[in-house]
Amino acid sequence: MTIETSIHPGPAARPATRRRWRIASWAPLIVLVLLCGIITLINPNFLTFGNLVRISQAAMIPLVLGMGATFIILMGSIDLSVEGGLTLSAVILSMLVINGANENAFGLLGVLLVLIVGAGVGFANGVIHVRLKIPSFMVTLGMWFVGVGAANALLGGMAIRINDPLIRGLAIERFLGFPWGVWVALLCLAIALVIQNYTRLGRYIYALGGGEELAALSGIPVGRVRILTFTLAGVFYAVGGVLAAAQLGLGNAQIGTGRLFTTITAVVVGGTALSGGQGSVLQTLVGVLIVVVLSNGMVLMGVPPSVQIGVQGLMIIAAVALSIDRKRMRIVK
Amino acid sequence: MNTLLDTFRNDGMRQWLPLATLILLVILVGAFQPAFLDVNTLLQLASDTAVLFILATGVTFVIMLGGIDLSIQSMASLSSVVVALTLARFGYGAFVFAFALGALAGLLSGIAHVRLRIPSFIATLAMGGVLSSAALVTSRERSITLGESERAYLGWITGTVFGIPNVVIIALIVLVVAHILQSRTPFGRYSAAIGAGEPAAYASGVKVDRQKIFAFVLSASCAALAGIVLVGRLASGSPTLASELLLPSIAAVVVGGTSITGGVGSIWRTLVGALIISVVRIGMTFLGVNIFAQNIVFGVVLVAAVAITIDRSKIPIVK
Repeated sequence: MTIETSIHPGPAARPATRRRWRIASWAPLIVLVLLCGIITLINPNFLTFGNLVRISQAAMIPLVLGMGATFIILMGSIDLSVEGGLTLSAVILSMLVINGANENAFGLLGVLLVLIVGAGVGFANGVIHVRLKIPSFMVTLGMWFVGVGAANALLGGMAIRINDPLIRGLAIERFLGFPWGVWVALLCLAIALVIQNYTRLGRYIYALGGGEELAALSGIPVGRVRILTFTLAGVFYAVGGVLAAAQLGLGNAQIGTGRLFTTITAVVVGGTALSGGQGSVLQTLVGVLIVVVLSNGMVLMGVPPSVQIGVQGLMIIAAVALSIDRKRMRIVK
Repeated sequence: MNTLLDTFRNDGMRQWLPLATLILLVILVGAFQPAFLDVNTLLQLASDTAVLFILATGVTFVIMLGGIDLSIQSMASLSSVVVALTLARFGYGAFVFAFALGALAGLLSGIAHVRLRIPSFIATLAMGGVLSSAALVTSRERSITLGESERAYLGWITGTVFGIPNVVIIALIVLVVAHILQSRTPFGRYSAAIGAGEPAAYASGVKVDRQKIFAFVLSASCAALAGIVLVGRLASGSPTLASELLLPSIAAVVVGGTSITGGVGSIWRTLVGALIISVVRIGMTFLGVNIFAQNIVFGVVLVAAVAITIDRSKIPIVK
């Protein structure tokens, strides 16, 4: 089994659809290159090293969040709890490391605890979704507000300043010109790539997205794979929370606002199909870059930031409309 | 035969469960806090529930069809901004304008969902982004407080008739209209049919697409109306005015016993659901639960209610 077939299994294996899909999977990259070209023509400052660093800084959190969301969407599910997991992680982190509100100084152990909290949130999503048989969007919608509510309850309306040099260093200290946070995000990308291509979990996720009944019949432990994937996504959101807290230097309850939207836009614009089974984490990388480059370009052109949510919304609609394989879904709900 | 009887009994129990819960909650809160059962407190409760109920009514139409609308809070906020900005120039026309804008937004979500065949949760999530962006841009990211002269137009929302707040009367009118739409018109019948089984409804000649688009128009129009009522109550409009209302609204529909798989539900259930949410909120405030932490409870209640009401036979693969 080559990697090529493991990436596009299921019904897409029919020659005609496969060719169509192969072209479609390059479309996001072409869009990205065109976008960079156009913005450079309008404002040559786009290609300076300083701007490149700025783009990488803006892309690091969406990339990490996108890794988690990609796996969920590859299964054909959806995760709306991105902001919940991220906010809760960021707030708990701000309370565990050296901060302005209490005497804790757990450092790296604190980060580890936060990742466990993230895994716990994801695990809860997965277990409720699988065992109670509730559609994922409903479970994660609830978890979104539970997460943000819990973060709010922990803070009681305040914001906690982070003074830990280790955490602040992720955003401030640089290696080869890029902040450490960017390298952390790239490490997450590498881990996600390994999970996707070289582990059984990765194969199973594609199999589930391609056709769950077939996957179940071939002996794949469907429920366990789903729970594990939601847990994995929760860990990625927790990493996103750590990076967000480092970037802001604060733990507050609004830290996640708007991130769900960017994440889903990035995954979908990258070409990962909402119906599941088609897409990859590398495509999400392209999607993240499209979203970030576009908003960077809009800033360079002087478009107010509040327009960007609207543009992202239109991008979601356009990308989903273009990528949906209508033959596979007769009823759309 | 036995299983058939069991299902019947279960359904019968399920149908009355929300109302029983509501009565139990009212008695509980009343026992702890006798002032709660005062007429004035109850009227206050009714006016506080009005906005939630109007939002939930709109989204009930969509959920009945088996879809979901995640853009209602953005629509309500946009509508509040539009009213606050245009009230001085258009007078009462501002309300009509905001309402028409809601209908248009619903039409667009509906078309995106039906014609482009995008799942409703993603189409409305995206549309919500577009709407909240529009609200942020037009309001320049600020909340707009209404002047004295503009407040004169708000009498129909803030006033009272025979001691009953007008907001409650507006909500009652919405209830009556929605009930008639649902139980006395072809649209209502078709919605239930589509929710119960879309292929069968399609095969029997129901114009499924048109009914779906209409449901989204209703949902966004109700959201716009909710935004208008919010402007009246707070005398200001803001791009984030209603952003906390999405979860309680959907929770109200589901807690009332309308199933998110579609086909089962009614406006009355949504009314009961909205009242339950309001009473729970008041109960938590009495108990001293942090107002920010209340979302945890609503999130849990939402998931629990879905778990009880969902029809699992309709979704062989839960995604």
